[in-house]
Formats: sequence, C-alpha cells, structure tokens
Amino acid sequence: MAETFNFRLITPTGVLFDGAVEQVTAVGPLGEFGVLPMHTNFITAIAPGVITLKLGEGNYNEFLLAGGLAEVKDGAMTALAVEAEAPGAVDSAGAAAQATATEQRLATMSMFDPEYEDAAQALALARARAQIEQLRRAPH
Amino acid sequence: MATLKAIRRRIASVKSTQQTTRAMKLVAASRLRRAQEALFNARPYHEALTRVSDSLLASAPEALGAPEGAERAQLLVLVTSDRGLCGGYNANLIRLAEETMAKARSEGLAPKLFVIGRKGAEHFKRARTPLDGERVNNAPRLATVGLARDVASRMLHAFRAGAVCEAGVIYSSFRSALSQHPTFEKLLPVAPPEGAAGAAEYLIEPSAAELIPTVLRSYVEAAIFHALLEGEASEHGARMTAMDSATNNAVEMIARLTLEMNRARQAQITRELMDIVGGAEALRG
Repeated sequence: MAETFNFRLITPTGVLFDGAVEQVTAVGPLGEFGVLPMHTNFITAIAPGVITLKLGEGNYNEFLLAGGLAEVKDGAMTALAVEAEAPGAVDSAGAAAQATATEQRLATMSMFDPEYEDAAQALALARARAQIEQLRRAPH
Repeated sequence: MATLKAIRRRIASVKSTQQTTRAMKLVAASRLRRAQEALFNARPYHEALTRVSDSLLASAPEALGAPEGAERAQLLVLVTSDRGLCGGYNANLIRLAEETMAKARSEGLAPKLFVIGRKGAEHFKRARTPLDGERVNNAPRLATVGLARDVASRMLHAFRAGAVCEAGVIYSSFRSALSQHPTFEKLLPVAPPEGAAGAAEYLIEPSAAELIPTVLRSYVEAAIFHALLEGEASEHGARMTAMDSATNNAVEMIARLTLEMNRARQAQITRELMDIVGGAEALRG
C-alpha cells in the first residue's frame, strides 16, 4: 500500500472531506500541481476548477472548487474553498450556456471595470463545470 | 367595571395572541438551533484561513494599505433582520451604526452605509440617510455564501478603487439566546498580524504579493459570512427570548382577566338575586 497523508477540504459551510489520500491534484496560478506525501510546507492559490484526490486502490474522488487557497503544513494538506460541490450535482449543459453568456459579457467589458474580475472568475468556474464530465473520464 | 361579555372577549383575544407568540417562539428556537449549527460548521474554515492569511499577510504588509489618494470615507456594512418582533435586536444595531458613523465624521471620514436586512434599511430611509446600497428580503436564510461574496466583492472594489479608505461590518455577536452584543469589526485595511510566524516556513507559489488579492478576498468573504451567521443566530435568539416573555405576559394577563371575569360574574349573580328578592318582597308587602 502506498504512503498516504491527511487531506481536508474545508468550506464555510463545513468540512467536505477529511481523510487519508495518496495524491491531490489541483489547478494553481502556475498551472496544474500535485501534492504527494512528504511535500514541503507550501501555500498557493487554487483556480476555479476540479481538484482530484487519489484515494488508493484505483479510487478517485473529485470536487469542483470555486477557487480558494491550499496549504501544506507538516505533511498535512488543507484546501480552503468558498464553494465546493461534488461533480454528481453539477449541471454541465446549463454551465456551458452560462459560460457562453459570461464570455460574451466579458468581451464587452473593459479590463478596468470593477466587475471584470468577478466575471472572469465566473467564466472559469462555468467552464470547469461544463468540462467536468470530460475531466472525470480522462485517465488519471 | 367592564361587562362580563367584554372581559370574555378580551380573554379570547389574549389567548390567541399567546398561541401566536408561543408558536413563534418554537419556530425561532428551531431556527436558532440550525443557525448555531451553521456557526459551528464554519469554524474550521475560519481557523484554517486565519492561519494561512496570517502567514501570508505578515510577509507582504505593504500590499495591505488603501491605495494612495483614497477618499477619506468609511464603508459600513450593517447586518440587521428582515423581520421584527425580536425585542431590541435591530434598535441596538441601528444605535451602534449611528454612533460609529458619528465617530467616523468626527475623525473626518465620510460614512457610507450599506444595509443588509429590511428593518435597518427602513429605519435609515425614514431618517433620510442616503444608503450606499442595501440587500433586503433575504429569506429563507440570511447567512448564505452567495450574499457574503456579493457584499465582500463590493467592499473590496470600493477599497481598491480608492472610494473608501476604511471598511467594516456591524453585526450582533451571538453569545446565547439571552445575550447578543452589537459589534463593530474593522475589516479593511487589514492590520498586519502580530507575532505571526511569517511566510519563511512556507514555500509560496507564485509569490506572497501575488497571492495577497486572493487571500484578502477570502478573508473579507469569510469575515462577512461570519457576521451574517452571527447575526442570524442572534436574531433568532432575540426573537425566542422576546416571544418567551410575551407568552409569559399573556399567561399573567389571562390569570388577571379570569379573576376580573369571575368577580364580574359574581357581581351579576348578586345583582340578579337582589332583584328577585326585591321583587318577592314587593309582592308580599
């Protein structure tokens, strides 16, 4: 059995996951990153998208995050997300439509518009939602 | 003395009021339990976020201040309830908001008020205080992540754009169903945490300065969500207490009225007897 470490996924409405995992993969500001046991103490941001937990014995668990922060401290990892959902609950078709709508809205906005940042975040989240089925089917 | 019929009607009315207040108390109690649970569930997030943000903010204190040339203004987010019948809950919050605004003015800061909850918004509209924004009718739940994100993003935009140089939130902090305390919490600019270990023990990607906006955002969102949770629990606690004492008052009033009714009935019987005796005497005479 491979080595594991403790991972917690926390949102303001509660702890969604707390247990041993072999590997965590998420998307950060510099691209996708993975965390394995014995990782150094580490802080980074998580972009809106899917976080994948490798549970061992070929089992995986995914969550969709609306962006947040990740911390590794003393070998344990904590992901903080304002919102997170299990992929089963995601409406991919609705999200695709929303992504298109947000994209059109963004195209007419100035970079300096106070709502630009929010819209860009919403777009990334909607895209991740729309793609989640694909992401889940992809070989890990 | 009131007539027997009037007293009976009065008792019936007090009884139906009592039923209403008792039902409201029960509803408030169950909502309070739910709100307390939510408050409890939010704690791990709050703790972990505080740990992460402390170590990041300590390493880049220069990124925390208001932009240069920001207006001398203070944004206040006031959390009140949509519905009344909760004792002095809203009045206490409004008083603290007015005091905080007066204090800001005395420091040369123009107060800007953003009100959550119908009771607060109505009060300031009556007082003709211009509002910077409001969110009312937040049924069924006040403390939602969506509302917190919405308000937090307004606050951060105002701060970054230099429209305000300070921002804070006023809410009722929940101690128990009997005790809620109106509280002012300053959120921006963030005070660099004291004695934090700093970022030295962490590898930070891409860099502390680049992560600060994300951290600030999460921090303000979490703080406002926390204020909403505390406010929601306090509201239900205050309503439960108010409705409990209203129910007790009704019980007392019913006891008093019942006594009065019995007296009135006795008086009526006596009067009828006197009439009968008087009539009999007259016939015999």
